[in-house]
Amino acid sequence: MNGFAKVLLRTSSLLLALMALRPAIFASVDDAQSFALQAAEPYVKQGFQVREDYWGGDLGSGEKKAVRQQLFKGNEYWFWLGTEVDRAKVSVHVYDSDGKLAEESDGWEKGHFAGAHVIPKATGSYFIIVSVEESPEERTHWALVYGFR
Amino acid sequence: MIPFTRHLKLSVGALCGLALCANGAQAPQHINIKQLSTTVEDVVVPLPNEIFGALNKLGTVNWKEHVRSDKGPNFTERPRIALLLGTLIADGFIAVQAEDTAAVKDIGQRVLTLAKGIGVGNSITPHAKAIIDAADKRKWENVRQELDRTQNSVQQAMNEVHDEKLSQLVSLGGWLRGTEVLTSVVKEHFSIDGAELLHQPDLLSYFQTRLQAMPEFNLPIIRQIQDALVEVKPLIDVGDRRIPAESVKKVNEITTRLGHGIVTRD
Repeated sequence: MNGFAKVLLRTSSLLLALMALRPAIFASVDDAQSFALQAAEPYVKQGFQVREDYWGGDLGSGEKKAVRQQLFKGNEYWFWLGTEVDRAKVSVHVYDSDGKLAEESDGWEKGHFAGAHVIPKATGSYFIIVSVEESPEERTHWALVYGFR
Repeated sequence: MIPFTRHLKLSVGALCGLALCANGAQAPQHINIKQLSTTVEDVVVPLPNEIFGALNKLGTVNWKEHVRSDKGPNFTERPRIALLLGTLIADGFIAVQAEDTAAVKDIGQRVLTLAKGIGVGNSITPHAKAIIDAADKRKWENVRQELDRTQNSVQQAMNEVHDEKLSQLVSLGGWLRGTEVLTSVVKEHFSIDGAELLHQPDLLSYFQTRLQAMPEFNLPIIRQIQDALVEVKPLIDVGDRRIPAESVKKVNEITTRLGHGIVTRD
């Protein structure tokens, strides 16, 4: 094997190894955001304005995180949670400042996507609780986006 | 049991099972918020058009009377530019509500100038062009989306160069202008639901905490905002009580004064 072929083989092997490790090394909250936005897509047609900003991080299985948010009575909100880990199960729920469940009954969880629907009864602070219920990964990226109309 | 009934029961059972799979485990009806204290992220600052949307549902608002067309001076202090940028983006949302093409185009241009002044012009140029283009075509939904993208890009660009404090001032500028217009509208046509939109105590505390962490921004306008937030807090942090018309009027006076301060040279 000549020198060029050796270099090519080594480079290809390295690239293949990197590609195999891709989910662990390169996956990011940005990937999770793409999935959260994918969950939001059908709602845009229903008139929901989806915020550009998003909130994200990583969680272990069974861990939760709360995001505090100001909601306004009169508006209607959907929160969408996503992760790039397709065998993970995630959930999102919304509580008012007294800790009472404040979401409508049409929220859903479908594997690595989840959605929660809120029509606030009062203007004020609410807590959006995101959770990685199950995941094959040690840490699972999550991203939360929301829309309102 | 006759076969049809059995089939029906099995089908209903299967459907319920599928529904449960889709809906997941039932969420608890109550949680202890205090136990979350260590895992709570910062409060999310709403966009001005979230408040404007809620206001619209309470009755017709004459948005044209809230559109601002004054150019404003050129500032050199970065904190002042950041505050003004947030205010200007809020003005953009107001001009969209008023469907004022000329004002939206002017605001798009001014946002770009300010962004350049603060060193984040490159990330804003495509958005400013998109705002102007969409305003020309009177595609208001697109303008709204581009204004949101503009604010997001400005703040991301600031965060990338560790100017998080300036990014927070952009949010604060937008919140102050939004509150000024909200109180102006509710003051004119008072309603309990309209006044309730001011119930934002956590947001106010968030801005107070952030301003306290900016001692290096030793500018009169920053100190004025800090003092003003102390005045505003008891007026809107009322728990389960209603916010009276006098409080709305007072908050309007305070935010109008600050709004004037933000766009005027010291």
